[in-house]
Amino acid sequence: MKFLCVPCDSPMKLQTVGPPERGSLSVVYACPECGYEMAMLTNAYETQIVQSLGVRIGPSTAPGTGSDGAASQSKCPFGAMIPGAEQGDAAAPAEDVSVRWTAAAEARLANIPEFVRPMARTGIERFAREQGAAEVDEKILDQAREFFGM
Amino acid sequence: MKSYHDIAGDGGSRILEQVAEQRTRIADGLAGVRHLVAVGSGKGGVGKSTLTLQLAGALRARGLRVAILDADFNGPSQARMAGVQRAVFAPGSHKVALPRTASGIGVFSMGSVIPESEALDFESAARGESHTWRATREFALLGEILGSFEWGTLDLLLVDLPPGADRTAQYADFLGARTAFVLVTIPSQVARGVVARSVAALTKRPNRLVGYVENMSGYYCRDCSAVKPLFESDDPSDLGIPCLGTVPFDPELARHCDLGIPFTELRDTPVGEALDAIAQRLLDDIDDEARALLKTT
Repeated sequence: MKFLCVPCDSPMKLQTVGPPERGSLSVVYACPECGYEMAMLTNAYETQIVQSLGVRIGPSTAPGTGSDGAASQSKCPFGAMIPGAEQGDAAAPAEDVSVRWTAAAEARLANIPEFVRPMARTGIERFAREQGAAEVDEKILDQAREFFGM
Repeated sequence: MKSYHDIAGDGGSRILEQVAEQRTRIADGLAGVRHLVAVGSGKGGVGKSTLTLQLAGALRARGLRVAILDADFNGPSQARMAGVQRAVFAPGSHKVALPRTASGIGVFSMGSVIPESEALDFESAARGESHTWRATREFALLGEILGSFEWGTLDLLLVDLPPGADRTAQYADFLGARTAFVLVTIPSQVARGVVARSVAALTKRPNRLVGYVENMSGYYCRDCSAVKPLFESDDPSDLGIPCLGTVPFDPELARHCDLGIPFTELRDTPVGEALDAIAQRLLDDIDDEARALLKTT
């Protein structure tokens, strides 16, 4: 969808995306010529359909940072659509506090899809305990990858 | 006044570019896969998943590098049958290692992610309206899986499709023209009728329709070591595509699938021999196609 400022015959630019509220997004566009601003307010169905594409809405979206990047654990179902609105899994405390994760291992975990992340965390921690390790580091991840993967 | 096509980009979110980037990521992830073969039917309950797993087993027993993507997100069965229900997803540097069976077949199935007591669900604010967006969301998930797992270098990636002639066609569109299709039917007019609809849908697309497998084609009696009729109707299927082979029903096969016992345990039975012959025919066909493509390019 594109918006055109009819008096200026100039395409409007996306300025901000408001936080999702009851399934509605507030997307503000402005004309770069005259500065006129307008907001597109979506209903829940429109928001859901765009979200189902697995894309993000917002001016700061950079290549390769779609929903396959640091995905969301936000309580809002549309949190992952808005850059900066998510609460990444990397910040979430481990389920088992007896096994620590190094920052590098957490970063690798954050790279994998959100829907397998909780299971990966639990499985890796179990594997680490079986190996007698008190910490999940990149070496443990590599060992797990060798043990379980193709 | 400018029209839509006079304006480059979309104002900021780059929706189309993001979708294109997803497709590129999928293509890159599958670059090491020689053959992408989707196993579908249109009809449910004909044994698509069982045949997919056993066919993978027969191919693996020949020394080929094989993986299965269980694309039936709402009724995943490969995790249980392949024995990877408790798979551990190990993060690599950028992607997730693909879980594998004891015999070395890579398997992704939502059955490894979601317990059988739960259904696949997506959070949504559009309550009661899932019919408007659910299919789109599932294909976005499929793209995420294809782009996020380490498929590596494979001879074949078998995609176990969900039922539905319409879904079969949608997967053809999503997976692209390089994906060949094998359809599964049983000797019943009802099943053949539905599979014929899938054939009709697929022939309108550029995908190669390798042929069909007739499953439950007779019953293998282990007491008398003979294959007996299972269905009254034994008219030959007239689907207009090659028959890759027939597989008799064998309760032992069902037991093996429930327990996750590999193909090699069945190899010397009529079912195992039938599956082995189908695997060979599939290989001959896709290698012929690859050779023909090489000649034309």
